[in-house]
Amino acid sequence: MNKNRSKEYDVIIIGGGATGAGTARDCAMRGLSVLLVERHDFATGATGRNHGLLHSGARYAVTDHESAAECIEENMILRKIANHCIEENNGLFLTLPEDDIAFQSQFVDACSSAGISTEIIDPKLALRMEPSANPDIIGAVKVPDGSVDPFRLTMSNALDAKLKGADILTQHEVVDILKDQDRVNGVELFDHEKKEKAKYYGKIVCNAAGIWGHNIARFAGVNINMFPAKGSLLIFGHRVNKMVLNRCRKPANADILVPGDTICLIGTTSERIPIEEIDNMYVSKDDVDVLIREGVKLSPSLATTRILRAYAGVRPLVAADDDPSGRSISRGIVLMDHKERDGLEGFITITGGKLMTYRLMAEEATDLICKKLDVDKKCETANIPLPGSEKSDETLNNVSQKVYSINGITQKSAKDRHGSLAHKIAQGDENEDSMVCECEGVSIGEVKYAINELHVNNLIDLRRRTRVGMGTCQGELCACRAAGLLCESMEEPGKAKDDLANFLQERWKGMSPIAWGETINEIQFTSWIYEGIYGLKPDNN
Amino acid sequence: MKFDNIIIGGGLSGLTCGIKLAEQGKKCAIVSSGQSAIHFFSGSFDLLGKANGEEVTNPLESMKSLPENHPYKRVGLDKIERLTNDALHLLVRSGLNLNGQADRNHYTLTPMGVMKPTWLTLSDFTSFDQKDSFPWKKAVILNFSGFLDFHTLFIKDGLKKFDVHAQIKTVSMKQFDAIRKNPSEMRSTNIAKEFDKENAIEEFAQKANVLSDGFDVVILPAVFGLFNKTIADKLKEKIEKPVLLLPAIPPSVPGIRTQITLRERFQELGGTYLLGDNVEEGVFENGRLLEIRTNNHGDIKFEADQFILASGSFYSKGIVATHDKLYEPIFGLDIDGDSNREKWFDEKIFNDQAFMHYGVKTDQKFRALMNGEPVENLYVAGSVLGGANPLKEGSGAGISLLTSLHAAEQILK
Repeated sequence: MNKNRSKEYDVIIIGGGATGAGTARDCAMRGLSVLLVERHDFATGATGRNHGLLHSGARYAVTDHESAAECIEENMILRKIANHCIEENNGLFLTLPEDDIAFQSQFVDACSSAGISTEIIDPKLALRMEPSANPDIIGAVKVPDGSVDPFRLTMSNALDAKLKGADILTQHEVVDILKDQDRVNGVELFDHEKKEKAKYYGKIVCNAAGIWGHNIARFAGVNINMFPAKGSLLIFGHRVNKMVLNRCRKPANADILVPGDTICLIGTTSERIPIEEIDNMYVSKDDVDVLIREGVKLSPSLATTRILRAYAGVRPLVAADDDPSGRSISRGIVLMDHKERDGLEGFITITGGKLMTYRLMAEEATDLICKKLDVDKKCETANIPLPGSEKSDETLNNVSQKVYSINGITQKSAKDRHGSLAHKIAQGDENEDSMVCECEGVSIGEVKYAINELHVNNLIDLRRRTRVGMGTCQGELCACRAAGLLCESMEEPGKAKDDLANFLQERWKGMSPIAWGETINEIQFTSWIYEGIYGLKPDNN
Repeated sequence: MKFDNIIIGGGLSGLTCGIKLAEQGKKCAIVSSGQSAIHFFSGSFDLLGKANGEEVTNPLESMKSLPENHPYKRVGLDKIERLTNDALHLLVRSGLNLNGQADRNHYTLTPMGVMKPTWLTLSDFTSFDQKDSFPWKKAVILNFSGFLDFHTLFIKDGLKKFDVHAQIKTVSMKQFDAIRKNPSEMRSTNIAKEFDKENAIEEFAQKANVLSDGFDVVILPAVFGLFNKTIADKLKEKIEKPVLLLPAIPPSVPGIRTQITLRERFQELGGTYLLGDNVEEGVFENGRLLEIRTNNHGDIKFEADQFILASGSFYSKGIVATHDKLYEPIFGLDIDGDSNREKWFDEKIFNDQAFMHYGVKTDQKFRALMNGEPVENLYVAGSVLGGANPLKEGSGAGISLLTSLHAAEQILK
């Protein structure tokens, strides 16, 4: 059986989102022995299914002072520790003719009391700063918003945890929580690769599984009152805006347009869904229509910009224990010690919160874990940069100039994606520099680096690490090239063919809700290549 | 400018129609917006590979089971056999060397290592009689170092089913040093251009001969002969073992050569080929299309007795989808398809997608409908026609060839 069976970890963390990976890092930094388990891949839940907005907190300033204050604090921390995951774009809160301009002063006051710097900008100047904004705006306020790549952020946390000794198992799903009377002492996992079950033991089990934590808690025999809220978003094929664009009003549907990498995103809708549907997220025609209609109000050019994908994530909202109906739901951080709450020792849940506050959530969870294990070590995650973001004597530019001599596009893209870790990408010989994905500038070297060092099990994982297939062609040509490389490393071509078919299906899921214009043309072309010429089938093994 | 016939679209159907009409002495023009589906040609023309989910052995026979609104049925099964012969002869007269017959599919090996039924195959490629056997026991799969668009491991895996021992080897050629320097340049057409010059073929054949020692067959990507029509034959002469070419990721080198061959044939027959031009609008009167205007030619009108719309499917922009409608972008012809976008797609990408069946509505004579009425002198041919999913059926080339010949015959009557 598995060699880890006999080992007892200090802590087993469930969930490979930002919170789980962040908690794994924090625990590892405090000297604990850590196992991080994830049923699919890193950042596949709510972490990877949001705006990628580095909130200034301004959005919550009027309605939720506490969240706003947390956001701006974490915003400033992430700029220091995760610089390579962040674009410091700044944001504008726009008042449209249909909005109440009186809200603006209330908004500015609330921001300043939460510690968020604001600057009221003359609409004409705002339009010069951000030409894509609606020319009819009657007010604009500048705030320190930004963009954050949640895949990169989560991966950096996981990588650092691993560097500090944590064990990580992806494609491992929790199928049971192991208990010894009133004490949780481990988890039973199903390995999706090997198709077998194994038990792992730990002194503490930390449930950081987001909305799926609802089911994890059930395995432990405790009930958490969770309310899944679906949020849908659209990805546009170009980056029309330079700054984050928000509506200056109380939070509503589709009122944030975030630029990120080569694209921009409009979102979100908000809709309560039954817990049974959390694994079956689809974006409806109505969702798409609302997002476009509202998005065009922020930036009229969206009306003619190609939409690449639609997707939806689930916010893990938690109702207070005395409020089973979920009427007064908190969006704040929820940390539960199930010893205190349910009389179950060795089990804690960290949930609620936001991508922005993942580090703080990890800190709070780790503080509790340390307290339970009687470990007295301070949290340092707010000060020590993540791998890829370290300051060094040489500037990042110099590092990459040195490691890359030939190609501008892949060099710049890799540097953007991997920060100071870019030097790990093999280069120099023309084979490594050859481009796999032309839309996003991904080289063979970068793909190989990801396969070898970044826990890549399949093409969909590879996409999250490198952006292969995330560009305008949505994997039309690069999927096969990347599959070829993955196939070389796995030496299981039959599996690689299925993997390629799965990848195309996964791309299609996000394309089908918005498949008109160029997208329908593209999917027809893609189908002809893979099914028509290559003879690929949904099940090749 | 006045022509007898003007064809909109320079792909397989437009060219076939143009050649047929020009061969009969018609003064023709083709307006082509650019590349066509031939640029990702597999090397084979399919007639009917699948019907009712079953693989087809005799396409002429299996056509009987197709639905009534299928283009083949609408052409008329009594005419199909003759038209398949006409199509073959037209392609051969144009200078293409093809193998295959309409009443019995043969098979070609796909780059996934799967046998696929088809009708006519370019002589570059290998036609197999049987789908479940492979005539060789030991195969060497050769690829060029740095070429990512040929997936040797998939081929090797596919050949396992035939009990073939396959080995993958890489060839380095200094001729490709320059194109490999730029990471996006190592693509099939650029490799083909080097081989077109003929100075690389000798060295490559020598290397291939050394590497194929002890093997029965040499498998190579189909990157030979872009403008040079004899280089693929020369390669086969110089390599001592049988050579099996397989398609690489598009653009397809044999496809571009085929496009050029057909275009040259059309031009040799006196046809006018307007490349890179788009038809902007047409002038209609009393149910007839009188003239069209193109983007490049401004206020110069193009008049003709008959027009043929062969503008292709979605990816060729013959039909356009927006979030709330489908339309035919040149004339606003009637569309055979659902206007509700929720009906266009199936959530599983490998299922039969409804949009693949959409096209321009026509009457019995393949004349386009506009507001429910046929346009007397505007015929529709090729994949802009609806009524079939050519991908699922393996009928794309057949529909293009046969409907365009049928349209030409209507005009020549």
